[in-house]
Amino acid sequence: MSVPGHPLDRMFNPKTVAIIGDKGPNYMWLRNNQPFKDRGGNLYSVQIDEKEIPGIEELGIENFRALTDIPEPVDYALVAVPRHVSPYVMKDLIEAEVGGAAFFTSGFAETGEELGVSLQAQLTEMAREANFNVVGPNCMGLYLPRVGVRFNPDVPVADDGRVGFVSQSGTHSIMFSLVMGANGMHLSRCASFGNAIVLDISDYLEYLTEDPETDVIAMYVEGVKDGPRFVKALRAATARKPVVVWKGGQTDAGARATMSHTGSLASPHAVWQGIMRQCGAISTNSLDETVDAVKVLLDAKPSTGKRMALMAMTGGQSVSITDAFVGQGFEVGRLSEGSYEELSSFFNIIGGSFQNPLDMAGTVQGKRETLERILSILDADESVDALVMEQSAMFGARQWKDHPERVEDLVDTLASHIERSAKPFLMVMHPAHEEAFVAEVRLKFAERRIPVFASFERAAAAAARALPQGTRS
Amino acid sequence: MTFAETISSARAENRTLLSEVEAKAALGNAGIPVTATTLAQTREEAAAQAEAIGYPVALKVVSPNVAHKSDVGGVVLGLESHEEVAEGYDEIISSVQAAQPSANIEGVSVQEMASPGVEVIVGVTTDPQFGPVMMFGLGGIMVEVLGDVAFRLAPLGEGDARDMIDEIQGRQVLDGVRGQPPVDIRAIEAMLDGVSAFAAEHPEVAELDLNPVIASPEGAIAVDARIVLAEA
Repeated sequence: MSVPGHPLDRMFNPKTVAIIGDKGPNYMWLRNNQPFKDRGGNLYSVQIDEKEIPGIEELGIENFRALTDIPEPVDYALVAVPRHVSPYVMKDLIEAEVGGAAFFTSGFAETGEELGVSLQAQLTEMAREANFNVVGPNCMGLYLPRVGVRFNPDVPVADDGRVGFVSQSGTHSIMFSLVMGANGMHLSRCASFGNAIVLDISDYLEYLTEDPETDVIAMYVEGVKDGPRFVKALRAATARKPVVVWKGGQTDAGARATMSHTGSLASPHAVWQGIMRQCGAISTNSLDETVDAVKVLLDAKPSTGKRMALMAMTGGQSVSITDAFVGQGFEVGRLSEGSYEELSSFFNIIGGSFQNPLDMAGTVQGKRETLERILSILDADESVDALVMEQSAMFGARQWKDHPERVEDLVDTLASHIERSAKPFLMVMHPAHEEAFVAEVRLKFAERRIPVFASFERAAAAAARALPQGTRS
Repeated sequence: MTFAETISSARAENRTLLSEVEAKAALGNAGIPVTATTLAQTREEAAAQAEAIGYPVALKVVSPNVAHKSDVGGVVLGLESHEEVAEGYDEIISSVQAAQPSANIEGVSVQEMASPGVEVIVGVTTDPQFGPVMMFGLGGIMVEVLGDVAFRLAPLGEGDARDMIDEIQGRQVLDGVRGQPPVDIRAIEAMLDGVSAFAAEHPEVAELDLNPVIASPEGAIAVDARIVLAEA
């Protein structure tokens, strides 16, 4: 699946990849991209340093002394040469008509020094003149989980990714990919674009907007060079799919002199927030907020309603879950009379409550039929727009360790409920004292597309941002 | 004077800040409600203009050198008669001369007083990355201390003006608190859309403040206006 005819299509769907200038002892880039070869892609190395070549061949990767010697058309190249060599590499990339190249090489304009600035200008001019696709420089390049092109040895290779990510920062692109994976979610395509001398954020955004493998777009941005173009691309994107924009830092406009009150109030952050709303994008301020918002977008059914039915296992938790959701502008009101009538017929009110929030451990007691009954009552209740259930590791972890089948059973109960119901369902599982164990359990929920959050606050914030744009049908 | 002429005369004088009289004339011509404001250069002119506007009126000094008019005794409010206006004129001239002898006083503006209501602020600024941006907020303490304002790119699209109004924290104030009647939200929307169109039509405008705009059940009207032109 690709976007036929799009100028970035070859590099985003490569059949042949060249790694230029990777070195031992670790051969980081060749190792990162072994999965591409394992999945049937043509992975080649380009290296002229004789003493590096045996190590490359030991990895089972064919080395060429010149890019132009590679017999197939190269769709994507990753360049990791010293900066002063980069113009020569650029010349070869252009001559070989490579689909696009990412320059891991750094030491350009970001250094502020004369040599770096002039080398960057030289690369820019060469690439622009040849209409050549450059990712970076000073970046981690592309991560294409389906074909196995990677920018880090730990990011997953996966066929089910539906989230496109674009990032000004290499670190954030890797962190996002790893944390998404730890939450059972995968990327469709990712670009870390660094100094963006040719391809800029709007180019990637436009591709992901068209990309049939991308259902949700997220990005990390510090500043944009061409504001109006970005706004246009963002508006076009949000008209097609949800877009989460994680804004880092403040732009350098803070100190500009203004003669008006409006000008003095127009902090870059305030203006940015307004533009994001106007463009229909979801704004976030951190990695976790971004992952959480994406989770809601992928795995929750959409709802613009504010009326939540909250289910907790204890009295204290039922107060806290209510505080968190009310704090984000949700309503936790009375259920319908019909629901109360039904609930009162079986609910254990000694140490529990079936008001909203529900305090239900004493009623459910691990019985699947009872939980299913409560879920279906709330699902049918016309005064409820969405359901949130709490199950912390405080009690859960011990039981689940002793009886792993109970995890499977709970997952199946909830997943089946979500499949039947038209209303959003979110789960909150605080890891309590069992971080590592819960990290594994959470993946079992994620496999069945049950969106699980580590705290009430994170669930409520993500719901407030993203529930109206949930993509699950 | 057309706005183009106002701009040329400001350019000729090498200034980017328009006077309140100039700013209100331009906005008024563009259909944006502003309080009637005229420039008087004698006490007799002031009194005659007040008769034409109708009482009560406010008087404010007009001088390119005075940044904060009330600090130098340059503002008198609530004048109810021909005599009060004439005396008010003299009072302003002498106070400003005393407080800031170097100020070049062009005259005094005679202004219609708006009926009471909720003070809001409408503005335009130019963002270095994104270009012209609109602002809306509640006036007074809400904007000064809390920065309770909403921004959007200009020109505003369908529904943007309403979204800006609904976004501010103090939104409820517009619906009427403590027995106050709700203000005319549509009139504020119309003002935001009008200012947005004005800014789009005149890219020379770098910054614009309507502060305050008085919003009431009867409508919304700008009581003070400031326009800063982009450097030529």
